[in-house]
Amino acid sequence: MTTPSDSSRLRLLILDDEPIVCKRLKPALQKLGCTVETFTDSASALARLGESAFDLVITDLKMEGLDGMKVLTEVKSSSPATRVVVITGFATMETARESYRQGAFDFIAKPFRLGDLLDCVRRIGSELGKDLSQATAK
Amino acid sequence: MSDAPGGRQSFLRRIFALPWSMQRRRRQSREIDFWRLQALFNNFRRILFENNAILEDMAHLERVLGGEYIFDRAFLDQAVRSISSRVHHVTYNLNALTGNGHIPLYDRYQDIRTTLDDILSGNTRNLSPTAVLGLEEVGWEHEPQVGTSLVCLAELRHHPGVRLARGFVVTAEGVRTMCDEMEAVNEEQATRFPRADVLAAIDDQFAALLGSGSARQFAVQVVHLEGDEELQNVKEHYILAGAEPNADPSPAAVDLRQKLHTLADEIGARQHSEGGRRRRFALHVRAVEPHAIRGSVHSRTSLGLDEAMQLSAVPATGEMSGDTFILRRTSPFAPIQSSISPRPAGYRYVRNRLATGESLANPTMARGSALVPADIVKTLAKTAIACERLIGGAVSLSWECSQVADCLITGLLPISVPRLEIDENALQRERETAEILCRDGQRVQSGVAAGRVAHVNEGTQPSSFPAGAIAVARYASPQLTPVLQRAAAIVTEYGTTMGHLATVARELRLPALFGVPEALRLLPEGSEVTVDAGEAIVYRGVLANLLRQEAGHNDLSPADPEYRLLRRLLRFILPLHLIDPDAADFTPNGCRSYHDIIHYSHEKAVDELANFQDHRPELGSIRTRRMRLDQPLDLRVLDIGGGLHPSAPAEPTVEDVTSLPLRVFLDGLRHPRASDLELPSLGMRDILSGMTHEVSTLYEGGGMLAENLAIVGKDYLNISLRVGYHFNVIDCHLGEDEARNHVYYRFAGGLADQQRRLRRIHFLREVLTAMDFKVTVKGDLIIGRLKLVPAPAVLSALTVLGALTTVARQRDTSLYSDADTSELLQGFSRVFLCRDGHCLGGEEQLGQLPVASPAAPATQQR
Repeated sequence: MTTPSDSSRLRLLILDDEPIVCKRLKPALQKLGCTVETFTDSASALARLGESAFDLVITDLKMEGLDGMKVLTEVKSSSPATRVVVITGFATMETARESYRQGAFDFIAKPFRLGDLLDCVRRIGSELGKDLSQATAK
Repeated sequence: MSDAPGGRQSFLRRIFALPWSMQRRRRQSREIDFWRLQALFNNFRRILFENNAILEDMAHLERVLGGEYIFDRAFLDQAVRSISSRVHHVTYNLNALTGNGHIPLYDRYQDIRTTLDDILSGNTRNLSPTAVLGLEEVGWEHEPQVGTSLVCLAELRHHPGVRLARGFVVTAEGVRTMCDEMEAVNEEQATRFPRADVLAAIDDQFAALLGSGSARQFAVQVVHLEGDEELQNVKEHYILAGAEPNADPSPAAVDLRQKLHTLADEIGARQHSEGGRRRRFALHVRAVEPHAIRGSVHSRTSLGLDEAMQLSAVPATGEMSGDTFILRRTSPFAPIQSSISPRPAGYRYVRNRLATGESLANPTMARGSALVPADIVKTLAKTAIACERLIGGAVSLSWECSQVADCLITGLLPISVPRLEIDENALQRERETAEILCRDGQRVQSGVAAGRVAHVNEGTQPSSFPAGAIAVARYASPQLTPVLQRAAAIVTEYGTTMGHLATVARELRLPALFGVPEALRLLPEGSEVTVDAGEAIVYRGVLANLLRQEAGHNDLSPADPEYRLLRRLLRFILPLHLIDPDAADFTPNGCRSYHDIIHYSHEKAVDELANFQDHRPELGSIRTRRMRLDQPLDLRVLDIGGGLHPSAPAEPTVEDVTSLPLRVFLDGLRHPRASDLELPSLGMRDILSGMTHEVSTLYEGGGMLAENLAIVGKDYLNISLRVGYHFNVIDCHLGEDEARNHVYYRFAGGLADQQRRLRRIHFLREVLTAMDFKVTVKGDLIIGRLKLVPAPAVLSALTVLGALTTVARQRDTSLYSDADTSELLQGFSRVFLCRDGHCLGGEEQLGQLPVASPAAPATQQR
């Protein structure tokens, strides 16, 4: 068994203004084999996205300042290859439709099972040919 | 049909004797009655529906606490709003069903709703109903008023083999009341408790401690609180010396209270003089009992051995050096290293062993015995790990042991331990190369734990279970609760996330996986494994990196405000305190949680329907149809929707029945083996005995029924039977959704003398208990309840109840001795109660009743 190098890992940015969400997602995704950075304000997250390339952005929708829909738009316009997954506690058909229209890879309503998000990330990893651990919950 | 007064023919005669206009009004009233009956059932169904939804919401909230879901604060707000609205509907529908028979339930709902809103808004002042609590009264709901560590300490009382030092707690609000010399200037500042009451309560607690033991010294721990948080790094300890009490401990108690008061004032004044605003603090007072050794156990060391824990012990005299152990953090908590000080000859260890002094005289020899025996080391280590799970971080437990090794836990504090960086590559490599022994199953409580496997079942003695082992069982039975309190994790082959054991696992934050196929075979006794419950995987061996990562509080833990908020909310939503419907506190005022309210409502709703003919006599004259049965049973049927085929004739047969519960019940009733067991033996003495029996005592609580009547819907059955001289009510809802399923069974009466009637009650109780009914008996009245069970269990129960109805007919008259009862029980068991080849009473299985499936009920033909 070889150890995955950093370049073969999925690079992932999480943006959610509730620290508990970042705190819990980060280790679970690290366990999956991703390199993870977390942010609780959209301005800092966008600044980081301007500095470095990420394979995947997981963003909340309703936040102070720049909301998740604007983050989604910014990411897709500056880095079309970056996948964006929207997570929200205010899920409606309209926001889901709008998210997909703006190029979201997936739209997940809170609360959600950790395994569901990991499945989604695994799909993205598979599409991008990245090493991800299979020894995790389905 | 009889023509007794009040009977059907008499009723018809009266109707036809009336003028036409009155007959019309009567016809109209019959129609109205029918609609009123439907309204009655609609309310009942609404209660069932809402109960089901609430139970699902509660289970979801509990699972959220178990770490399976990612959630945020907004979810908690929304969840409480939703569940509160449903509970409100339940109270409304119960009152609609019973003609406003339970109005005080609204008030209880409103009280609990207000408490939940207070918790969400951060107003925690009202959470503790009293300012001074015995340590044994402290629970999670008091956390904002006493701090997390004191609650964890108090929760240890539920752990077998753990004893707590006697003591009490003055909550932050209690301290404020005690110290507040000035009048409050507004309502916001006013304390909730009269000052005199708080002082008197402290006096009482001191008097109780003085009066029930030999302790004359009292240790005081100050727990500083800030908002919702406990300031974990602020630790203050004081000792109060008490006077020797006379026959009346009151004066000494008042003296101690005054010292405590002075201490609290000094702490407050010091805070003020240091320029800070006055902080909230609670006080934990405990009796200092005579002891031989004392010490502490740290659940995690700061020695760089991340997977180790440390136990220290010193003689109580303080004149000699102590012992130190570094232990593994997994069962059996083997020592990694130890430092044991030699003792002089004649030193008396606990359990009265004497030191020889050889180790001092000749240092090259062995070091001598340790102060703490190995079994106590293990118990303390296991207790510290359990506390770490509860509090969500490393802890330090302090303890004291007497000369006879009677050990008390005296305190608990969170500690801060530097953590090693986790090598993510090593972690990933470890997980990918480790052998997976089993996977899948339902995640009840996430978390990682390692240890040796111990197979357990309902009969396992908790004391025989190795502390800190991984419990593996076939069923997640509530009887395993004491085992859970000693285990590091639990894995079962069967069980649901809504069951009692799941709740206990979450309370203890014990990693738990239910429904793991072949767990007993895949996880052999004694094998060393690592359970990752969050991932639903069990690995062979100990995965050190995975354990280290888990210990880094990466998942949801009590250190997270959202976790604490949810746990606090659940204390007023989830616990079921009202268990016994016959208990004196089974009242609206006895409801302390939403679960209590819906349980109370469900019981009262079932009771209302089961006895609706008594409660609503005006509904008794509605049109029913007589069933054509191949049994000597005059049964009438009222279809309230989907219970009979639309083209059923005026006298429907079994084949016309589309109500699944009735059909299955009739299958049992008509089962050929049930009739074989029927051996009525009636003498004149029995008849005379029955005639002299007071009717009111025969039917106490059950009501007098006019005829055998089955009220049926597609998934509902309420059947009232007067078979022979006994009276029997069965109320059942049967569907795919187990949360809505219930069977209520009531049986009373009989013709034989009291002793023989009681033997029949004994027989019925054994049969019901064997089917997992909760049974209560009052004289010759027996009530059984089966709830929250899957459809096949209800089907089996109804079939057996059908057969029981046939078998129990006048059976009391033939039960002349206990041996007759035993014989009947074994005979019935052989045919109807065998499960997995085992029968009630230990008999070999001779036959088994086929169980119908919900899709296609089987009909037994004679």
